[in-house]
Amino acid sequence: MCDVCGCQLHDHHHSDSKIVEVNQSLLEANQKQAASNKTHIEKMGAIAINLISSPGSGKTTLLERTIDELGDSVKIGVIEGDIETERDADRIRAKGVPAVQLTTGGACHLDAPMVHGGLHVLEHFGKGKGFDIIFIENVGNLVCPATFDLGEHHRAILLSVPEGSDKPVKYPTTFKGADLFMITKTDLLQHFDFDIEEAKSEALKIQPDLDILCFSSTTGEGFDQWITYLKNLLSA
Amino acid sequence: MHELSLAQNLLDQLLQLSKQHDAKIVTKATVIIGPFSGIVVESFAFGFNAIKQDHPPTATADLILETPAPEYICLDCNTINTGDAGTTNEHPKAVYETINDKLCSACGSSRLSPSGGTELILKQLEME
Ligand SMILES: Nc1nc2c(ncn2[C@@H]2O[C@H](COP(=O)(O)OP(=O)(O)OP(=O)(O)O)[C@@H](O)[C@H]2O)c(=O)[nH]1
Ligand SMILES: [Mg+2]
Ligand SMILES: [Zn+2]
Ligand SMILES: [Zn+2]
Ligand SMILES: [Zn+2]
Ligand SMILES: [Zn+2]
Repeated sequence: MCDVCGCQLHDHHHSDSKIVEVNQSLLEANQKQAASNKTHIEKMGAIAINLISSPGSGKTTLLERTIDELGDSVKIGVIEGDIETERDADRIRAKGVPAVQLTTGGACHLDAPMVHGGLHVLEHFGKGKGFDIIFIENVGNLVCPATFDLGEHHRAILLSVPEGSDKPVKYPTTFKGADLFMITKTDLLQHFDFDIEEAKSEALKIQPDLDILCFSSTTGEGFDQWITYLKNLLSA
Repeated sequence: MHELSLAQNLLDQLLQLSKQHDAKIVTKATVIIGPFSGIVVESFAFGFNAIKQDHPPTATADLILETPAPEYICLDCNTINTGDAGTTNEHPKAVYETINDKLCSACGSSRLSPSGGTELILKQLEME
Protein backbone atom coordinates (compact mmCIF):
# COMPACT_ATOMS: atom_id res chain seq x y z
CA MET A 1 0.00 0.00 0.00
CA CYS A 2 1.17 3.46 -0.77
CA ASP A 3 2.01 5.28 2.44
CA VAL A 4 1.44 8.72 1.05
CA CYS A 5 -2.17 8.45 0.05
CA GLY A 6 -3.12 5.10 1.52
CA CYS A 7 -4.36 3.69 -1.76
CA GLN A 8 -3.92 0.11 -3.00
CA LEU A 9 -2.07 1.05 -6.16
CA HIS A 10 1.68 0.59 -6.26
CA ASP A 11 2.50 1.92 -9.67
CA HIS A 12 1.88 5.59 -9.03
CA HIS A 13 4.29 8.06 -7.63
CA HIS A 14 4.18 11.11 -5.43
CA SER A 15 6.91 13.39 -6.53
CA ASP A 16 6.80 16.46 -4.34
CA SER A 17 5.85 18.80 -7.04
CA LYS A 18 5.36 18.56 -10.73
CA ILE A 19 5.42 21.55 -13.06
CA VAL A 20 3.71 21.30 -16.40
CA GLU A 21 3.95 23.95 -19.10
CA VAL A 22 0.50 24.04 -20.63
CA ASN A 23 0.31 27.17 -22.78
CA GLN A 24 -3.17 26.48 -23.98
CA SER A 25 -5.92 28.98 -24.64
CA LEU A 26 -8.90 28.69 -22.34
CA LEU A 27 -11.03 29.87 -25.23
CA GLU A 28 -9.90 26.99 -27.40
CA ALA A 29 -13.00 24.85 -26.97
CA ASN A 30 -15.16 27.76 -28.09
CA GLN A 31 -12.83 28.54 -31.00
CA LYS A 32 -12.93 24.96 -32.26
CA GLN A 33 -16.71 24.92 -32.17
CA ALA A 34 -16.78 28.31 -33.90
CA ALA A 35 -14.62 26.97 -36.72
CA SER A 36 -16.96 24.04 -37.16
CA ASN A 37 -20.00 26.36 -37.09
CA LYS A 38 -18.44 28.37 -39.89
CA THR A 39 -18.06 25.26 -42.05
CA HIS A 40 -21.62 24.29 -41.19
CA ILE A 41 -22.93 27.72 -42.27
CA GLU A 42 -21.00 27.53 -45.53
CA LYS A 43 -22.41 24.06 -46.22
CA MET A 44 -25.84 25.63 -45.77
CA GLY A 45 -24.81 27.96 -48.60
CA ALA A 46 -24.84 31.02 -46.36
CA ILE A 47 -22.75 33.65 -44.64
CA ALA A 48 -23.39 34.70 -41.05
CA ILE A 49 -23.34 38.13 -39.44
CA ASN A 50 -23.03 38.49 -35.67
CA LEU A 51 -24.82 41.61 -34.39
CA ILE A 52 -23.48 42.98 -31.11
CA SER A 53 -24.75 46.00 -29.18
CA SER A 54 -26.04 47.23 -25.84
CA PRO A 55 -29.66 46.35 -25.06
CA GLY A 56 -32.08 48.35 -27.18
CA SER A 57 -29.66 49.77 -29.77
CA GLY A 58 -31.98 48.62 -32.52
CA LYS A 59 -30.79 45.16 -33.62
CA THR A 60 -34.20 43.55 -34.03
CA THR A 61 -35.71 46.65 -35.64
CA LEU A 62 -32.82 46.70 -38.13
CA LEU A 63 -33.54 43.07 -39.00
CA GLU A 64 -37.26 43.73 -39.44
CA ARG A 65 -36.65 46.57 -41.87
CA THR A 66 -33.88 44.66 -43.67
CA ILE A 67 -36.26 41.75 -44.26
CA ASP A 68 -38.83 44.18 -45.72
CA GLU A 69 -36.29 45.84 -48.00
CA LEU A 70 -34.71 42.64 -49.28
CA GLY A 71 -38.04 40.92 -49.89
CA ASP A 72 -37.66 37.58 -51.62
CA SER A 73 -34.37 38.49 -53.29
CA VAL A 74 -32.27 37.16 -50.38
CA LYS A 75 -33.11 34.15 -48.20
CA ILE A 76 -32.65 35.16 -44.58
CA GLY A 77 -32.47 33.13 -41.39
CA VAL A 78 -32.17 34.57 -37.89
CA ILE A 79 -30.77 33.23 -34.64
CA GLU A 80 -31.87 35.35 -31.69
CA GLY A 81 -29.97 35.39 -28.41
CA ASP A 82 -31.71 36.68 -25.32
CA ILE A 83 -31.50 36.01 -21.62
CA GLU A 84 -35.22 35.16 -21.53
CA THR A 85 -38.30 35.15 -23.79
CA GLU A 86 -39.10 34.39 -27.41
CA ARG A 87 -40.13 37.97 -28.17
CA ASP A 88 -37.42 38.87 -30.66
CA ALA A 89 -37.79 35.60 -32.59
CA ASP A 90 -41.56 36.17 -32.72
CA ARG A 91 -40.99 39.61 -34.25
CA ILE A 92 -38.88 38.03 -37.00
CA ARG A 93 -41.30 35.13 -37.58
CA ALA A 94 -44.08 37.68 -38.00
CA LYS A 95 -42.19 38.76 -41.12
CA GLY A 96 -42.30 35.21 -42.50
CA VAL A 97 -38.60 34.56 -41.90
CA PRO A 98 -37.36 31.45 -40.04
CA ALA A 99 -36.04 32.37 -36.60
CA VAL A 100 -34.58 30.34 -33.74
CA GLN A 101 -34.65 31.76 -30.25
CA LEU A 102 -31.73 30.85 -28.00
CA THR A 103 -32.37 31.76 -24.39
CA THR A 104 -29.21 31.79 -22.33
CA GLY A 105 -30.94 31.59 -18.95
CA GLY A 106 -28.79 34.32 -17.46
CA ALA A 107 -25.60 34.22 -19.50
CA CYS A 108 -24.63 37.58 -20.92
CA HIS A 109 -23.44 36.38 -24.34
CA LEU A 110 -23.93 33.66 -26.92
CA ASP A 111 -21.15 31.12 -27.35
CA ALA A 112 -20.29 28.80 -30.22
CA PRO A 113 -21.90 25.62 -28.75
CA MET A 114 -25.24 27.43 -28.30
CA VAL A 115 -25.12 28.68 -31.88
CA HIS A 116 -24.27 25.17 -33.07
CA GLY A 117 -27.58 23.97 -31.66
CA GLY A 118 -29.35 26.94 -33.22
CA LEU A 119 -27.93 26.18 -36.66
CA HIS A 120 -29.33 22.65 -36.63
CA VAL A 121 -32.79 23.92 -35.76
CA LEU A 122 -32.60 26.71 -38.34
CA GLU A 123 -31.48 24.24 -41.00
CA HIS A 124 -34.59 22.22 -40.28
CA PHE A 125 -36.84 25.30 -40.67
CA GLY A 126 -35.24 26.18 -43.97
CA LYS A 127 -35.53 22.74 -45.53
CA GLY A 128 -35.76 22.83 -49.30
CA LYS A 129 -35.31 26.58 -49.41
CA GLY A 130 -31.88 27.22 -47.95
CA PHE A 131 -30.28 30.44 -46.72
CA ASP A 132 -28.13 33.22 -48.10
CA ILE A 133 -27.59 35.21 -44.91
CA ILE A 134 -27.92 34.12 -41.31
CA PHE A 135 -28.12 36.99 -38.84
CA ILE A 136 -27.15 36.13 -35.29
CA GLU A 137 -28.52 38.74 -32.89
CA ASN A 138 -26.35 38.46 -29.80
CA VAL A 139 -27.55 39.11 -26.24
CA GLY A 140 -27.77 42.87 -25.65
CA ASN A 141 -24.36 43.60 -24.09
CA LEU A 142 -21.44 45.58 -25.42
CA VAL A 143 -18.74 43.74 -23.46
CA CYS A 144 -19.03 39.97 -23.12
CA PRO A 145 -20.09 38.87 -26.62
CA ALA A 146 -16.81 40.23 -28.00
CA THR A 147 -14.85 37.41 -26.34
CA PHE A 148 -16.79 34.61 -28.04
CA ASP A 149 -16.39 33.83 -31.72
CA LEU A 150 -19.55 32.18 -32.99
CA GLY A 151 -18.25 31.15 -36.41
CA GLU A 152 -19.63 34.28 -38.08
CA HIS A 153 -18.13 35.68 -41.29
CA HIS A 154 -18.71 39.29 -40.29
CA ARG A 155 -19.07 40.94 -36.93
CA ALA A 156 -21.12 44.12 -36.67
CA ILE A 157 -21.24 46.47 -33.69
CA LEU A 158 -24.33 48.67 -33.39
CA LEU A 159 -24.26 51.91 -31.44
CA SER A 160 -27.38 54.05 -31.20
CA VAL A 161 -27.25 57.84 -31.10
CA PRO A 162 -28.73 58.13 -27.56
CA GLU A 163 -25.86 56.03 -26.16
CA GLY A 164 -23.23 58.66 -26.96
CA SER A 165 -20.25 58.85 -29.28
CA ASP A 166 -17.67 58.01 -26.59
CA LYS A 167 -18.49 54.29 -26.67
CA PRO A 168 -15.63 53.20 -28.96
CA VAL A 169 -13.16 54.67 -26.45
CA LYS A 170 -14.94 52.99 -23.56
CA TYR A 171 -15.28 49.56 -25.17
CA PRO A 172 -12.12 49.14 -27.26
CA THR A 173 -12.12 45.35 -27.01
CA THR A 174 -15.53 45.19 -28.60
CA PHE A 175 -14.57 47.44 -31.50
CA LYS A 176 -11.22 45.75 -32.01
CA GLY A 177 -12.84 42.50 -33.13
CA ALA A 178 -15.42 44.12 -35.42
CA ASP A 179 -15.70 44.29 -39.21
CA LEU A 180 -18.58 46.73 -39.37
CA PHE A 181 -19.61 49.63 -37.14
CA MET A 182 -23.26 50.66 -37.48
CA ILE A 183 -24.41 53.95 -35.99
CA THR A 184 -28.17 53.54 -35.51
CA LYS A 185 -31.14 55.83 -34.81
CA THR A 186 -29.64 58.72 -36.79
CA ASP A 187 -33.13 60.27 -36.87
CA LEU A 188 -32.41 61.24 -33.24
CA LEU A 189 -29.18 63.15 -34.00
CA GLN A 190 -30.89 66.53 -33.59
CA HIS A 191 -31.87 65.67 -30.00
CA PHE A 192 -28.51 64.36 -28.75
CA ASP A 193 -24.97 65.71 -28.78
CA PHE A 194 -23.68 62.61 -30.56
CA ASP A 195 -20.53 63.48 -32.50
CA ILE A 196 -20.43 61.20 -35.54
CA GLU A 197 -16.90 62.23 -36.46
CA GLU A 198 -15.62 61.45 -32.95
CA ALA A 199 -17.28 58.04 -32.97
CA LYS A 200 -15.86 57.24 -36.41
CA SER A 201 -12.31 58.43 -35.77
CA GLU A 202 -12.04 56.69 -32.39
CA ALA A 203 -13.40 53.45 -33.82
CA LEU A 204 -10.98 53.63 -36.75
CA LYS A 205 -8.07 54.12 -34.37
CA ILE A 206 -8.96 50.87 -32.66
CA GLN A 207 -9.77 48.97 -35.84
CA PRO A 208 -8.41 50.66 -38.98
CA ASP A 209 -10.15 48.25 -41.39
CA LEU A 210 -13.59 48.93 -39.97
CA ASP A 211 -16.46 49.64 -42.39
CA ILE A 212 -18.85 52.25 -41.03
CA LEU A 213 -22.52 52.80 -41.85
CA CYS A 214 -25.03 55.28 -40.38
CA PHE A 215 -28.76 54.68 -40.63
CA SER A 216 -32.20 54.96 -39.11
CA SER A 217 -34.59 52.03 -39.09
CA THR A 218 -37.43 54.46 -38.46
CA THR A 219 -36.96 56.77 -41.45
CA GLY A 220 -34.98 54.38 -43.65
CA GLU A 221 -32.19 56.95 -44.01
CA GLY A 222 -28.92 55.17 -44.87
CA PHE A 223 -30.62 51.89 -45.75
CA ASP A 224 -29.58 52.03 -49.41
CA GLN A 225 -25.93 51.79 -48.37
CA TRP A 226 -26.69 48.96 -45.94
CA ILE A 227 -28.55 46.95 -48.58
CA THR A 228 -25.72 47.54 -51.07
CA TYR A 229 -23.23 46.50 -48.40
CA LEU A 230 -25.09 43.23 -47.84
CA LYS A 231 -25.34 42.50 -51.55
CA ASN A 232 -21.61 43.11 -51.92
CA LEU A 233 -20.90 40.67 -49.10
CA LEU A 234 -23.06 38.08 -50.84
CA SER A 235 -21.37 38.48 -54.19
CA ALA A 236 -17.85 38.55 -52.70
CA MET B 1 -20.78 37.05 -15.74
CA HIS B 2 -18.76 35.63 -18.62
CA GLU B 3 -15.73 35.65 -16.32
CA LEU B 4 -17.43 32.89 -14.34
CA SER B 5 -17.90 30.71 -17.41
CA LEU B 6 -14.25 31.26 -18.33
CA ALA B 7 -13.20 30.40 -14.77
CA GLN B 8 -15.21 27.20 -15.19
CA ASN B 9 -13.17 26.44 -18.35
CA LEU B 10 -10.01 26.84 -16.28
CA LEU B 11 -11.32 24.58 -13.53
CA ASP B 12 -12.27 21.88 -16.06
CA GLN B 13 -8.78 22.09 -17.58
CA LEU B 14 -7.13 21.76 -14.17
CA LEU B 15 -9.22 18.76 -13.21
CA GLN B 16 -8.49 17.06 -16.49
CA LEU B 17 -4.76 17.78 -16.39
CA SER B 18 -4.34 16.72 -12.78
CA LYS B 19 -6.02 13.42 -13.61
CA GLN B 20 -3.95 12.96 -16.71
CA HIS B 21 -0.75 13.56 -14.73
CA ASP B 22 -1.86 11.40 -11.87
CA ALA B 23 -1.64 14.27 -9.40
CA LYS B 24 -3.71 14.58 -6.26
CA ILE B 25 -3.79 18.31 -5.96
CA VAL B 26 -3.11 21.36 -8.04
CA THR B 27 -1.03 23.76 -5.99
CA LYS B 28 -0.63 26.58 -8.46
CA ALA B 29 -2.02 27.62 -11.83
CA THR B 30 -0.58 30.51 -13.82
CA VAL B 31 -2.91 32.21 -16.26
CA ILE B 32 -2.19 35.05 -18.68
CA ILE B 33 -5.01 37.54 -19.24
CA GLY B 34 -4.35 39.91 -22.13
CA PRO B 35 -5.10 43.62 -21.63
CA PHE B 36 -7.61 43.62 -24.52
CA SER B 37 -9.25 40.29 -23.74
CA GLY B 38 -12.37 41.98 -22.39
CA ILE B 39 -11.97 39.96 -19.22
CA VAL B 40 -12.12 41.71 -15.87
CA VAL B 41 -9.20 40.21 -13.95
CA GLU B 42 -10.77 40.62 -10.53
CA SER B 43 -14.02 38.94 -11.52
CA PHE B 44 -12.15 36.06 -13.09
CA ALA B 45 -10.13 35.48 -9.91
CA PHE B 46 -13.22 35.84 -7.75
CA GLY B 47 -15.12 33.33 -9.88
CA PHE B 48 -12.32 30.81 -9.87
CA ASN B 49 -11.73 31.02 -6.12
CA ALA B 50 -15.44 30.47 -5.53
CA ILE B 51 -15.81 27.36 -7.68
CA LYS B 52 -12.44 25.71 -7.01
CA GLN B 53 -13.63 24.66 -3.55
CA ASP B 54 -16.17 22.25 -4.99
CA HIS B 55 -13.40 19.90 -6.12
CA PRO B 56 -10.74 18.39 -3.84
CA PRO B 57 -7.91 18.54 -6.42
CA THR B 58 -8.34 22.30 -6.94
CA ALA B 59 -9.64 23.36 -3.53
CA THR B 60 -6.37 24.92 -2.43
CA ALA B 61 -4.97 25.90 -5.82
CA ASP B 62 -3.31 29.31 -5.96
CA LEU B 63 -4.26 31.30 -9.00
CA ILE B 64 -1.39 33.42 -10.31
CA LEU B 65 -2.50 35.95 -12.89
CA GLU B 66 -0.12 37.56 -15.33
CA THR B 67 -1.35 40.73 -16.96
CA PRO B 68 1.04 41.77 -19.72
CA ALA B 69 1.39 45.46 -20.53
CA PRO B 70 -0.81 46.66 -23.38
CA GLU B 71 0.83 47.33 -26.72
CA TYR B 72 -0.28 49.88 -29.27
CA ILE B 73 0.78 50.04 -32.86
CA CYS B 74 1.18 53.48 -34.41
CA LEU B 75 -1.00 53.66 -37.51
CA ASP B 76 1.37 56.19 -39.05
CA CYS B 77 4.81 54.63 -38.55
CA ASN B 78 4.07 51.09 -37.28
CA THR B 79 6.12 51.52 -34.11
CA ILE B 80 4.93 49.38 -31.23
CA ASN B 81 4.42 51.51 -28.11
CA THR B 82 4.13 49.79 -24.75
CA GLY B 83 1.62 51.15 -22.25
CA ASP B 84 1.62 50.85 -18.49
CA ALA B 85 1.29 47.32 -17.18
CA GLY B 86 -2.22 46.74 -15.89
CA THR B 87 -2.73 46.09 -12.23
CA THR B 88 -5.04 43.27 -11.28
CA ASN B 89 -7.75 45.77 -10.40
CA GLU B 90 -7.88 47.37 -13.76
CA HIS B 91 -10.89 47.08 -15.99
CA PRO B 92 -10.08 46.55 -19.69
CA LYS B 93 -11.55 49.88 -20.70
CA ALA B 94 -9.26 51.72 -18.29
CA VAL B 95 -6.30 50.18 -20.08
CA TYR B 96 -7.33 51.84 -23.30
CA GLU B 97 -8.20 55.15 -21.71
CA THR B 98 -4.67 55.48 -20.36
CA ILE B 99 -3.31 55.61 -23.90
CA ASN B 100 -5.85 58.04 -25.21
CA ASP B 101 -3.81 61.19 -24.56
CA LYS B 102 -0.47 59.56 -25.37
CA LEU B 103 1.48 60.05 -28.55
CA CYS B 104 3.69 57.69 -30.54
CA SER B 105 7.18 57.68 -29.05
CA ALA B 106 8.71 57.61 -32.52
CA CYS B 107 6.67 60.04 -34.63
CA GLY B 108 4.32 61.84 -32.23
CA SER B 109 1.14 60.63 -33.92
CA SER B 110 -1.98 60.23 -31.79
CA ARG B 111 -3.26 57.38 -33.93
CA LEU B 112 -2.34 54.50 -31.63
CA SER B 113 -4.26 51.28 -32.06
CA PRO B 114 -4.40 48.35 -29.60
CA SER B 115 -2.25 45.49 -30.80
CA GLY B 116 -2.69 41.84 -29.77
CA GLY B 117 -3.52 41.33 -26.12
CA THR B 118 -6.76 39.38 -26.52
CA GLU B 119 -5.39 36.16 -25.03
CA LEU B 120 -6.56 34.05 -22.11
CA ILE B 121 -3.98 31.33 -21.64
CA LEU B 122 -3.32 28.64 -19.06
CA LYS B 123 0.45 28.94 -18.97
CA GLN B 124 1.71 26.66 -16.26
CA LEU B 125 0.53 24.24 -13.66
CA GLU B 126 2.08 22.97 -10.44
CA MET B 127 0.73 19.72 -9.01
CA GLU B 128 1.50 17.28 -6.25
N1 LIG C 1 -35.94 56.65 -33.13
C1 LIG C 1 -35.56 55.40 -33.45
N2 LIG C 1 -35.88 54.37 -32.64
C2 LIG C 1 -35.49 53.13 -33.00
C3 LIG C 1 -34.73 52.89 -34.18
N3 LIG C 1 -34.46 51.57 -34.24
C4 LIG C 1 -35.03 51.01 -33.16
N4 LIG C 1 -35.66 51.96 -32.40
C5 LIG C 1 -36.40 51.74 -31.15
O1 LIG C 1 -35.50 51.32 -30.14
C6 LIG C 1 -36.12 50.37 -29.26
C7 LIG C 1 -35.29 49.12 -29.17
O2 LIG C 1 -35.18 48.52 -30.46
P1 LIG C 1 -34.87 46.97 -30.69
O3 LIG C 1 -34.75 46.79 -32.16
O4 LIG C 1 -35.84 46.13 -29.96
O5 LIG C 1 -33.45 46.89 -29.99
P2 LIG C 1 -32.54 45.57 -29.75
O6 LIG C 1 -31.14 46.01 -29.95
O7 LIG C 1 -33.04 44.46 -30.58
O8 LIG C 1 -32.83 45.29 -28.20
P3 LIG C 1 -32.44 43.98 -27.34
O9 LIG C 1 -32.72 42.79 -28.21
O10 LIG C 1 -33.33 44.06 -26.16
O11 LIG C 1 -31.00 44.12 -26.99
C8 LIG C 1 -37.50 50.14 -29.81
O12 LIG C 1 -38.40 50.91 -29.12
C9 LIG C 1 -37.39 50.60 -31.26
O13 LIG C 1 -38.60 51.04 -31.79
C10 LIG C 1 -34.41 54.02 -35.01
O14 LIG C 1 -33.75 53.92 -36.04
N5 LIG C 1 -34.83 55.25 -34.59
MG1 LIG D 1 -33.53 42.52 -30.01
ZN1 LIG E 1 -0.61 6.91 -3.32
ZN1 LIG F 1 -23.75 19.78 -35.64
ZN1 LIG G 1 -20.37 38.90 -19.11
ZN1 LIG H 1 4.43 56.65 -34.96
